[in-house]
This record gives sequence, C-alpha cells and structure tokens, in this order.
Amino acid sequence: MAMKVDMSALETNFSIPCLDDGDGMHFSADSPDVPSMVLPTCADFDGFQAATKDMVKNKRGTTTLAFIFDKGVIVAADSRASMGGYISSQTVRKIIEINPYMLGTMAGGAADCQFWHRNLGNKCRLHELSNKRRISIAGASKLLANILYSYRGMGLSIGTMIAGFDEKGPGLYYVDSEGARLVGNRFSVGSGSLYAYGILDEGYRFNMSVEEAAELARRAIYGATFRDAASGGCVSVYHVGPDGWKKLSGDDVGELHYHYYPVQKTSVEQEMTDAPSTSA
Amino acid sequence: MVGKNCFAIASDRRLGVQLQTIATDFQRVFKIHDKLYIGLSGLATDAQTLYQRLVFRHKLYQLREERDMKPETFASLVSAMLYERRFGPYFCQPVIAGLGENDEPFICTMDCIGAKELAKDFVVSGTSSESLYGACESMYKPNMEPEELFETVSQALMASVDRDCLAGWGGHVFIVTPTEVQERVVKGRMD
Repeated sequence: MAMKVDMSALETNFSIPCLDDGDGMHFSADSPDVPSMVLPTCADFDGFQAATKDMVKNKRGTTTLAFIFDKGVIVAADSRASMGGYISSQTVRKIIEINPYMLGTMAGGAADCQFWHRNLGNKCRLHELSNKRRISIAGASKLLANILYSYRGMGLSIGTMIAGFDEKGPGLYYVDSEGARLVGNRFSVGSGSLYAYGILDEGYRFNMSVEEAAELARRAIYGATFRDAASGGCVSVYHVGPDGWKKLSGDDVGELHYHYYPVQKTSVEQEMTDAPSTSA
Repeated sequence: MVGKNCFAIASDRRLGVQLQTIATDFQRVFKIHDKLYIGLSGLATDAQTLYQRLVFRHKLYQLREERDMKPETFASLVSAMLYERRFGPYFCQPVIAGLGENDEPFICTMDCIGAKELAKDFVVSGTSSESLYGACESMYKPNMEPEELFETVSQALMASVDRDCLAGWGGHVFIVTPTEVQERVVKGRMD
C-alpha cells in the first residue's frame, strides 16, 4: 500500500473568501492553521498600500549575519529597534528560535518578522507531525518565501535568514519580503550589513573552531554597530550544530568597544601648579 | 546648564551622514573667549563656518573696544548674523553660554534664523533635543557647584543620546568658572 505524502499542511490558501467576523481574521475549519487575512476594500488599493507603507516607515535599521563553516552555522545580530531617529529599544531579540534546530533572523518590520516566523514554526511542526520527519531547511525557507511572495507589494518588510541543521548538513537561506530566496554560505542583512561584510569577508575561513567563528561574528556585528547609527545594543551570537542551536554569547556593545579599544592614558598636558604665594 | 557662579556646556562627538558615522571626535563646542562658549548643532560645515565668522567678528570687536564681548552682546550678534541669511539660512542651532558682569552665568539658544530664547536653568539643541529637555528637567537643581554640575550635565547628555540613533559616540563637557575652565571627554556607548 503506497503512502501518499500528505502535503496539506504545506498548502497556503489565500484565495479563500473570508467572512469578516469583526476581528479581521478568519480561521476556516478546513485549514485551521492558515489565517486568511482580510484585505481592505477601497477604490485605490495600490495607492492605499503605498500610503500604508510610508506610514509604517520600515527602514531595516539593524545588522544581522549568518555564515556556514565546517562545524555548522553561526548566526549573530544586534538588538536595536529604531523608529526614524528615536531608539525605541536596545534589547530586541532579533534571532528567533523557530524550533530547536532552526533559527530565523529579524530585519525590517519587527511585527512582520515575529508573526511570520511563528507562523513558519507552526507549519514546520505540522509537517513533522504529518510526515514523521523533520522538515528540511530548504523546505522551510521555501514555505516562507512562498507566503511572502503572495504578499508582495503590500508593504511587508522582512529580510530574514533561515539557518539550521538538517540531514543534508548545515543550511542557510536568505528570504525577503520581495519574494527572493537565495541559498548561500555567508549573508548579512540590514542597514549595517555593508560594514559587517567588510569584517566578515576578511576574516572568514571554512575551517574554524566554534570560538573563532563566534569571535568573527561578534567583531563583525560590533563593527557595524560602531559605524551604523541604526544598529547597536547587544550582540547575540548563536551556533547551530548537528544537535540543534545553542546561544553562545550576548555582549553589550558599549562594553565591547572598550574591551577591543581600551582607553589609553594620555600624558598630562598641563600640570596644575600652585600659584606663587605672596611673601609677607 | 547654569550652576552657582559657573556654567557647563556639552556636546556629543559624532559626525555622521544620515546613518553612517564618519568621525567620533568632532568638535562642536567652541571658545570665543575665556568666559564665552558657543555650541553649534546641525550641519557640520555651517557650524564650522559660522564659528570662524564669529571669531573674526569678535576679534575685530576686541581691537576696537579693547575688551571682550559680553555674552548678551554676543548673543545679539549671533542672532543678527543668522537673520541676515533669513532666506538661505545656516542650518545650525547655536547654544551660547558665558559669564557676564559680576560673573553671572548667561545662557541662551536660538533657532537657525536667530530667534533668541533666554533661560535661567538650561538650554538644549540638536537631534536629541526632546530627550535632552526631559533629562535636564528632571536632573536640574539650582545653584549646583562645578563638580555636581559636571555630573548632572554628563548624565543628562549620556542618557539622552543613548536614545538617539544619530547622536552619541562619547561626550565633550566644559565646566567654566570665573577662575578656570575644565574640559573633559566623557566615555559613552560607541553604538
């Protein structure tokens, strides 16, 4: 008896006409895991979406990076959230734990990234339950990419990297809200990515120990936080190995700077001398 | 910020182009004479040019009057110079601080076309000005001694720029009393 692979959990049903029961989200009984989103009814849909995009003002102010080396994948990110010039938080978790062997990074709109990564985690778990085996990183990233492609042009802002370890070994995919899905060995995403690439590309070797790789990632994110105004806070470094991910370190960038560049004591330029006292 | 027979003037040290940081040792607080300082926030090139023009005018004044300019006079000079460019302004918001007659502290700030705003306690300008107003308002006490004033100004500055992407990378604080000037560089978050 041939078992047909159950793909129902992987389907995305966005063409379901949804009845708005007042809260904007309708979960149909057929596919309980897929929220079908209400689209606004208005005369100029494209204009409305463009205006919403401007209002939300997502500017990918962040630095995240990930690279594959011989012992797995290193994923690192800063922790600053900015709204224009204002720093709204210095303690944002930008590395999202999708499941014990897969990580996603957050760049772009925080709400978008958090929601869709959680949604991806749901889908991956359903796949595991229906198929009795873990989903591959390629499969998980494809799921996410397909969802984001169908929302293309509507103002989602997500620049994420899906990193993990599956049967084929370490996997790293870059997925973004324009619908791109790229496979690669080294990626950096965000406004500080150019600065991070400079340090990452210079120090990268395939054969490194886990400590060396972590230090390279930390240094690259630190460099980006120094030059880029929209990145800062703390550097978190994770390692994904055959047994799953492990958080290696979380260092405050302010202290990291003085650790790399301790303050040099300068020679005293002008000694204070007592004024000559007048003789009686 | 005004203290007891002294004042403090401070700035951050970043020079940047939108999100990119170019330098972390940019000087923004300038000395006009021993008891008069001006801080210029905004476009860096305008800050430097305006400072050079003001020093030139002050030196001429010194030659003619054979004395230093009073802070109130200097503030009027800056205001007039900025208004001269009403329809093509310098993109700078100055903060002026000095010790006037009887070493009375004088502070004022202006917008980029010269609207003077005098204050008795503190004045702020720059991208983190809203944060600075809040921090100074909560930390200010009247009649602070120079040491306490330095602490207050440094804490207010550091707290405010830590909430601003475009300011920070260290602090530069001057405490001016009738007898001495203390210049200090404050260690800050370099992100």
